[in-house]
Amino acid sequence: MTSAKQMIVTLFIVALVCSIVLSFVYSFTSPRIANTQSELTLAGLKEVSAAQEFVEIIPDTLWRALDSSGNCSGIVFRVFPQGYGGPIPITVGIDLDGKITGIRIASAAEGMKETPGLGAKITEKDFIEQFKGKEASEVPLKKDGGEIDAITAATISSRAVCDGIKTGIEKYTSYLGAVPNKVNVFPAAQEFVEIVKEKLWYALSDTDTLGIVFISSAQGYSNCITFMVGVDNDGEITGVEIVYSNETPGIGDKIREREFLDKFTEGMPEAITGATISSKALIEAVKNDIELYQEYLK
Amino acid sequence: MRRWHIFTRGLVKENAVLILMIGLCPALAVSGTVRDAFGMGLAATFVLFFSNVIIALIRKSVPNEVRIPIFILIISTFVTMIDYFMQAFQPDLYRALGVFVPLIVVNCMILGRAEAFASKNSVINAALDGLGVGIGFTLALTIMGSIREILGNGTFLGTTVFGEAFRKTPVIFMILSPGAFLVIGILKALINKYVKKE
Repeated sequence: MTSAKQMIVTLFIVALVCSIVLSFVYSFTSPRIANTQSELTLAGLKEVSAAQEFVEIIPDTLWRALDSSGNCSGIVFRVFPQGYGGPIPITVGIDLDGKITGIRIASAAEGMKETPGLGAKITEKDFIEQFKGKEASEVPLKKDGGEIDAITAATISSRAVCDGIKTGIEKYTSYLGAVPNKVNVFPAAQEFVEIVKEKLWYALSDTDTLGIVFISSAQGYSNCITFMVGVDNDGEITGVEIVYSNETPGIGDKIREREFLDKFTEGMPEAITGATISSKALIEAVKNDIELYQEYLK
Repeated sequence: MRRWHIFTRGLVKENAVLILMIGLCPALAVSGTVRDAFGMGLAATFVLFFSNVIIALIRKSVPNEVRIPIFILIISTFVTMIDYFMQAFQPDLYRALGVFVPLIVVNCMILGRAEAFASKNSVINAALDGLGVGIGFTLALTIMGSIREILGNGTFLGTTVFGEAFRKTPVIFMILSPGAFLVIGILKALINKYVKKE
């Protein structure tokens, strides 16, 4: 009969040695694990968006897509709608107009549990390509009033994908901001001609070019602020609208107030007390961008 | 000769899956593709080999009453190690195997070898036994994985085998759960007919 003391000591030593060994293995592999994870995530994001850089807003769930000059070009988010065999991991990219730039459904190896040969066909190109350029209202299956063809014999999985994407777009669009009508920032113009896609327009009246309208962004307090500005040929601001801002409600969020935005048309406004960082960022960015686009003004 | 026998015994004559019918849970669950099956086999072999060696090494100082918790501790240490390694270097395989990697801890084949062999034999014999049983397990899983992937998905290690037409409409049944039972049943029947027990 072994004494209780001997049992306790042996168990203790074995447990101690095991945990020491494991902590070494962990410290050696954990940076590598984190690295592989982020590489995989980035590769996945690039599949659904043409953006150069992605800024994480909600960890592992929501990213803002930035183009090569650092401006917001859309967002990318992940949703996990319940399919037939389990949650389906979907990555969705949407542009500033709320249109889908691409979707990616995880393969079976990455945790998609739909039935092989049936529901798993949701990962095939024919199905995925349908989503490109669609808006939230067009995403449901045709039989549900949308524009997506379901996969034969895989309606549950197809519908889950559509529902997940639609819910995701509705949930995260606020991070994108609905793009305001260009007339709001340039009331005198009758027509707008795009110079740089989704970014810069000529403001026209009948035949004359009156000025330009552009969308740009600034680094605010919590996130980037996206705004739209109209400038006439004399370099005078005709209007400023906030496209997207996630500044602190009640503080930085004051930059959305009409009173403040209207001051841009009478020369540059003062920073808002209590929202200095956000308002200064906006004022500076507007100033810089007008200089940047000077060459487009006659 | 005896050592050679210890090693080869686990390969066919006492193959864990196909003869002893142990370790069936991962064999049925992750033999859908060759890659998953082979990866699972290697992971189990790694754990089996090292836990056998360590247990044989400390067998004389382990009090009989607490041997099971100690074996489990050692086995789970190696399982956690392989879990970390796989996450770091084979993330795709890791995700495919999912919960079956941590479940190697409770694979009765591994505790079975620790209890029945490693705790009573020398380090070298325990190492050979672990390696033999592990390779036998890997072989069984890979055979099942090959049959199921070729028939059920029309591919072998991801490359199309019987042409594109078959690839599009394979015997889906084989890659689903019932396929696993059918394949293991047929393999077991063949082995019963052709391999004589000792």
